[in-house]
Amino acid sequence: MKKVLIIGSGIAGLSCAISCAEKGIEVTLVSPFPSERSQSVLAAGGINAVTDFPEYKDSIESHIEDTLKGGCHIAGKKAVKGLCENANDVIKWLEKLGTIFTLETDGRVSKRAFGGQSHKRTCYCGASTGKQIVTALVMEARRYEGLGLIKRRLWMDFYSALIKDGICCGAVFYNEATGSPEIITADSVVFATGGQNALFGKTTGSTQCDGYAAGKLFTQGVELKNLEFIQYHPTTIETSQKMMLVSEAVRGEGGRLYYEDNGRYVYFMEERFGERGNLMPRDIVARCMEETKKEIYLDITFLGKEKILKRLPEVYELCKKYRGIDITKQSIPVTPSVHFFMGGIAVKNNHETNIKNLYAIGECASIYHGANRLGGNSLLAAIHGGKVAASSIEKSEQTELDNDFSSELKEAEEKLSTMRKSKSLYPVKYVRDMLAETMHENLGIVRSAQELEKGIDDVSFYLSIADKLNFDKSEFAYLGYSLSGILTLAKATLICAKNRKESRGAHYRSDYPETKDDWTASTIISYDDGKYHTYLDTEGKYES
Amino acid sequence: MRVKILRQKSPNSQPYWQEFSYEYKDNQTVAGMLDELNYKDDLTDIFCKHAPRIQWECSCLQGMCGGCAMVINRRPALACETFLRDIKGDTIILEPLSKFPTICDLVVDRGIIQENLKKANTYIKEYKNSDMTQYDHMYSAGKCLKCGLCLEVCPNYKDGKSFYGAAFANDCYLISSRSDSRKVAIKESYKANFAKSCSKAMSCVDVCPMKIPTLASIAKMNRR
Repeated sequence: MKKVLIIGSGIAGLSCAISCAEKGIEVTLVSPFPSERSQSVLAAGGINAVTDFPEYKDSIESHIEDTLKGGCHIAGKKAVKGLCENANDVIKWLEKLGTIFTLETDGRVSKRAFGGQSHKRTCYCGASTGKQIVTALVMEARRYEGLGLIKRRLWMDFYSALIKDGICCGAVFYNEATGSPEIITADSVVFATGGQNALFGKTTGSTQCDGYAAGKLFTQGVELKNLEFIQYHPTTIETSQKMMLVSEAVRGEGGRLYYEDNGRYVYFMEERFGERGNLMPRDIVARCMEETKKEIYLDITFLGKEKILKRLPEVYELCKKYRGIDITKQSIPVTPSVHFFMGGIAVKNNHETNIKNLYAIGECASIYHGANRLGGNSLLAAIHGGKVAASSIEKSEQTELDNDFSSELKEAEEKLSTMRKSKSLYPVKYVRDMLAETMHENLGIVRSAQELEKGIDDVSFYLSIADKLNFDKSEFAYLGYSLSGILTLAKATLICAKNRKESRGAHYRSDYPETKDDWTASTIISYDDGKYHTYLDTEGKYES
Repeated sequence: MRVKILRQKSPNSQPYWQEFSYEYKDNQTVAGMLDELNYKDDLTDIFCKHAPRIQWECSCLQGMCGGCAMVINRRPALACETFLRDIKGDTIILEPLSKFPTICDLVVDRGIIQENLKKANTYIKEYKNSDMTQYDHMYSAGKCLKCGLCLEVCPNYKDGKSFYGAAFANDCYLISSRSDSRKVAIKESYKANFAKSCSKAMSCVDVCPMKIPTLASIAKMNRR
């Protein structure tokens, strides 16, 4: 029987695991924590699909067009076509598994309007779409666990991939519960490890999604793509530990962005773009906020207490709980925050990387969103990608495994043993904090060659010391050994941003503010013995 | 303020208490406080003795994943949504959830929750149209974090060997409401693994971070 190893158990990992099990493939689903802790549960908005009963004049072609346009025409057309064509089946599948969608009185799944889309096509589950999908998928995965087709392993942190002669046949993990490394082999390995939040410290996402897997795989020969495209959500509130998303629904309900200038309220979005200025796309709003260099506020008080409590109860609760702000009486101090990574592991249309039998799905993969992602397309991409990878794995030929991985295991043991002997009190977090500061300063919403070069220099320095430093062994071992991979990914991201000498989607260069036709292609970056090499995928290497 | 923590180096080592001092902040959560305590050059306790960094689990840091469940001043709660301003007195006592094996410090292995749900075949298999007047209740049950707070506070839940607790009862309600083929089987499982041992103390309802109406789930399951 074919065996697949899936690393990460959020919505993408679960979808792939269930789809593989449906095909009789034996799945080992590995994650440090259960699916309920995954970042997927934070996805509030919804999932895009042109269903059997679309809004008047909506069509799959329109969904494809919106997605390609939103991504500024660098996402693969075939991949996006597949995504949008499959969306209706994804919704039906989720319904069949018991996902608690919000329904109309006639029983059809309700849809809401989302930014950047020409029609209302975002299906949703109240204010917790991601969580409700996780609940349904966990139950379905459990059914296959009972049948012995899915085996879950918890407390396992990814260490490295087992790649021999360009073929992936498993991975090395560090078991935090037993304190030792462990090898799991498989015919195919799927990465579903989420975005690279740790590059920026505080983001709207989970602390568990740090980018280490992508960074480590990069050093092992896996190509990465479009790392420079990072989506900022314009309206978040800051707490001591994270940036919390203030839903776009506030602006949808008429919320107005402003700053104060000598006692005068300046509604800068409305002044620049007219009445609907506050609802401009995320990247434009974020950039305009940045340009003001002022503290920005979001006002919704005029809606009145009754309407606010009825229409925006989650936002009311969030602001009250974490910042002590009563949004029925006070404006919300908002700031843009890193929210989603369009870039990641480069995959072909079947989600396989440039390494045979190694796949990537969900936010860690880069395929559907191009230079900017539409709201409601990430959950769709996570599920669709999981299914596409499963189909490809089913069709792939089984390869003979070389079972001698003793040298890989020994290398991991030695590294971990050195870390355990450390007498240092220096925490990994200090370097992580320095990295986050560097990335915020030099790879912000508006970028320039000078800043990017400084960022590359700084991260190169952190990288040069990362493996020489001894860290406090009382921290989780994972924090220590993951640092180099995270720093490598950060450097690759800065290099991609420096090399793209134009502005497109979420990548805005003050020194190259125009979009240029000859840059209408994805950036690919590869690694060879400490050297980073980028090229534009003008020949569509990853579009087949 | 004083922060007293029940610590443990590894799964098999002996637990011990250690006290730290922390400068109170109005808008700080227990999770934020733990981060601040941890990231000084050298973490020392109130006797200026070096202390290993405090281990605790987190993911979303906004009350939506259940990772940071622990016992705070004798009450099970999520650290990321417990504010210092709501703590009575100037001492805060932190302990790991006691009904699960400790991995280290405030990190516990809650794998038994998933294991029991698997053993009891807690799945829907195929959705059938459900009573839409029950939508709010189902939506709420679907938000269960599997954080274990309801099991920690429950006087009937010991180690999960025979009684599976409120997290299981709510999943039973969800399955029973959304599946025809599984309705009979899940009712049997509910009787065996929940109904016969629940004394209806309902403390689970008080601590649930998602405010799931467990009493209503139980009432409906008992009637079905």
